[in-house]
Amino acid sequence: MSTTTYLIDVSVTISIIFLILFYVYYKYNSTKSEMDKIAEKTDYVDTGSYFRDAIGGKNKSIGMSAFLLNDAKSIGVRYIITSIIFFFIAGTFGVIMRVSLVEPTPTLFLNRTVLYDILTTQHGLLMIYMWALGSALGFSYYLLPTFLKVKKDSMGGYSSAAYWIYILGGIFILLSRTSTRWYFYPPLSLNLNPYNAGGFNWLAVLGMEMIFVGVVIAAIVVIKMIIMDRDENVKIEQMPLFAWAVLFTLIMLVASAPFFMLGLAMTFYDFFNPIFFVSSSSSPLSFTEMFWIWGHPIVYIAILPQFGLIYEIIPKFTGNKIYSYASGVLALGLLMPLSELVWGHHLLNSGFGLEWGLFFTTASFLVVIPSAITVFNYIATLWTSPKIRLTVPMLFVVNGIFDFIIGGITGVIQSNLVLNEVLHGTYWVTGHFHFIFLGITTGIAFAVIYMLFPSLTNGRKYNVRLAHWHFTLTAVGSFIMSMGWTIGGFYGMPRFVAGYFARFQAFQDTAILGGVIVGVAQLFFLANIFVTYSKAPSIASSNALEDAYNLPAIESGGE
Amino acid sequence: MNQKYKIEIIWIVAVLAILFASMGINFYVTGMKSFSVATKETPGEKTPGTLIQATGVQWSWSFEINGVKTVDNFTLTVNQTYTMVITSLPVGTGQAVIHDLLIPEFGIQVYAVPGQNNTITFTPDKTGTFIFECVEYCGYDHYKMRGYFTVVK
Repeated sequence: MSTTTYLIDVSVTISIIFLILFYVYYKYNSTKSEMDKIAEKTDYVDTGSYFRDAIGGKNKSIGMSAFLLNDAKSIGVRYIITSIIFFFIAGTFGVIMRVSLVEPTPTLFLNRTVLYDILTTQHGLLMIYMWALGSALGFSYYLLPTFLKVKKDSMGGYSSAAYWIYILGGIFILLSRTSTRWYFYPPLSLNLNPYNAGGFNWLAVLGMEMIFVGVVIAAIVVIKMIIMDRDENVKIEQMPLFAWAVLFTLIMLVASAPFFMLGLAMTFYDFFNPIFFVSSSSSPLSFTEMFWIWGHPIVYIAILPQFGLIYEIIPKFTGNKIYSYASGVLALGLLMPLSELVWGHHLLNSGFGLEWGLFFTTASFLVVIPSAITVFNYIATLWTSPKIRLTVPMLFVVNGIFDFIIGGITGVIQSNLVLNEVLHGTYWVTGHFHFIFLGITTGIAFAVIYMLFPSLTNGRKYNVRLAHWHFTLTAVGSFIMSMGWTIGGFYGMPRFVAGYFARFQAFQDTAILGGVIVGVAQLFFLANIFVTYSKAPSIASSNALEDAYNLPAIESGGE
Repeated sequence: MNQKYKIEIIWIVAVLAILFASMGINFYVTGMKSFSVATKETPGEKTPGTLIQATGVQWSWSFEINGVKTVDNFTLTVNQTYTMVITSLPVGTGQAVIHDLLIPEFGIQVYAVPGQNNTITFTPDKTGTFIFECVEYCGYDHYKMRGYFTVVK
C-alpha cells in the first residue's frame, strides 16, 4: 500500500472517529441534563457523586453509560473495560508471534519476518500502555473514591477528555503498524520506511504522545483526588496502602514522563528535518538515555498499584490486618526515588564505562531492599493469619507473590555489571519481565476484576469453576513460558528475533507451549463473562473490596 | 517472645546469611577471573593485544583482524589478548542504526553505535566454535545478524 492510500485511510478513520465523538458528546449532554434533574430531586448537590453512589449501592446498571458520564466511578469502569479489550488484542498478537517461532527459520509468515516485528512491537506497546497502565488507572478511579470517602467528584471533564485522548492514542498505535519495538530508537525508527515495515512510525509517535498527554492529565487528577478531596476523617497517615501506592506511582509518572515526551517530540521533528539525534553533533544514544529515564519507571508504574492492591486483597481473605503498615508505606515510598536512579542498567554495555556501570548496578541492587520489605510484609500477613480462604482472587495473589520472588531474583542477577554482559538482550530479560508482569500486573488485575465482578456486571456471580481454570492455566502456562525463556536466555538465546540458532529449539518450544496455555487460559475468562451475562443478576451489586472496607471477612460478592 | 518478633528475627538472620554467602561467592568468582566492560574510547597506540575492528551493518557483522576482512565469521587464537573496537556505519549512510554484539560464551556484549567506537579487551581461554549474535533490534532481517567464530590453538 502506498503512503497516499494509507493517508486517505487514516484521514477517513479519523473523520469517522470524530463523528462518533460528536455523537457521544451529544448523547452525553442530553443524558447529563436529564441526570442533573434526577440528582436535584434526590437532594444531591454534586451530580457526579450521585452517579457514584447510585452505581455503588442502588443496583444501578452500568452498561454503556460509563462512557457518557464523568464521575470517577464511570471513568474507572471505562478504563477497566478498554484495558481488558486491549489486553485481548495484544494477547492475541503475543500468542501468534510465539507460535510463529515454531521453527528456527521463520517459515510460518512465509519469510515475511516483518510481521513478527510488528506483532511483537504492538504486543509490548499495547500491553504496557493500554493494559497495565489502563487497568491501574481504572482501579484508581474506581476504588479510591470509596477508600478515601471522597464526597465530591471534581475535574470529571478533564478526566473524561484525558481518557478519550488516551484511547485515541492507543488506536493510533494499533493503526500505525509500527515495528520499532517499544523503544523507538531514532536512527531505526527514522530508517525503517524502505522495508515497508514501519512506514507509519510517525503515527505511532503521535499516538504515544497522545497516550502521554492523557495519562499525565489523569495522573494529576488522581493525585489531586488523593491529596485534596480526601474526607477529613481519613488522615493521610492512615490512608489505605492502595492510595499510597497510587500516589507514589503517579508522582513517579509525572516526574519521569517529560523526558520521553520530549524525546518523542524531537524524534517527530527528526522525521522531517533530522537535527536532533542523527546529526553530527549528537548521538543516537542521547535518545536511548531519554527513553530509559522514562522506560524504567514505567515498569514500576505498572506494578506499584498492584502492590497496593495486594495489601487490600489479603486482609479480605485472611481476616487479619496488614503485618506492618508503616514499613509497607516506607517500601512503596523508597521504590519511587530508586526507580528514577536505575535506568542506566538498560544501557550498561553501550560504553558508559566502569564507573557509571558500577553506580547503576549498585542502585539496582538497592531496589531489592524495598521490594523485599514488601514481599516479607505479604508473607508475614499470610503467616500470622488465623485462616486463609483460597478463593480465586487470593490464589492470584499467592501466585503473584511467588512469581514476583522468582522475577525479582532473576532481576537482581541480571543487574550485575559483569553478568549483564551475558544476559542483556537475551530471553533472560524477557523471562524476568514476564514473571513479574504475568504474576503481579496481570494476575492482580484479574484478582481485582474478580472481586469487583458483582459491581461491574450489575449483581452477577462469576462462575467459580471457569475462574479456577483461568487461574490454574494462567499460573502454569506463565511459569512454563517464563522458565523456558529464563533458562534459554542464560545460554545466550537472543530476544526479539524472528529466527534463531537451532540449538535453542528446546527452549523456544517450551515457551510456545507455555504461551499457548496462557492464551487458552484467557479464553476461560472470556467464557466466564459470557456465561455470567446469560444469567439474571442474583446477588447485590456490591463488592468485597469496597463495601466491607473496614470489615475483615466478606460475605457478599466473590464466591 | 511473641510470634511477631520471632518471624522478624528469623528473617533478618536468614536474609543476612544468604546475602553474606552470595557476597563471598561473588568475591571468590570475580577474584578468579578478570572481566572487562565496554568503554567509549578510540584505542590509541598502547592497545593491548591484537586489534579486531568489528562493524555492524544491516544485516551482517564484518570483522577485520590484521588487515583480513571477514563477514559473519572470524578466527581467534586461544590465550591471546584481543581488543575489539565495535561501531556501526556512520550517520548519513542510511544504515546508521544501533546494533549490539553478544558473544554469550565469553561474556562479551558491546553496543555498536553510529559515530562512536566502543572498546572491549578480552582473552579467549577455550577452543571450539562459538556463536555471536546481534541483540539490539536493527530492522527487517535483524535475526540474520548472527554467526559462528572459531578459537583455535
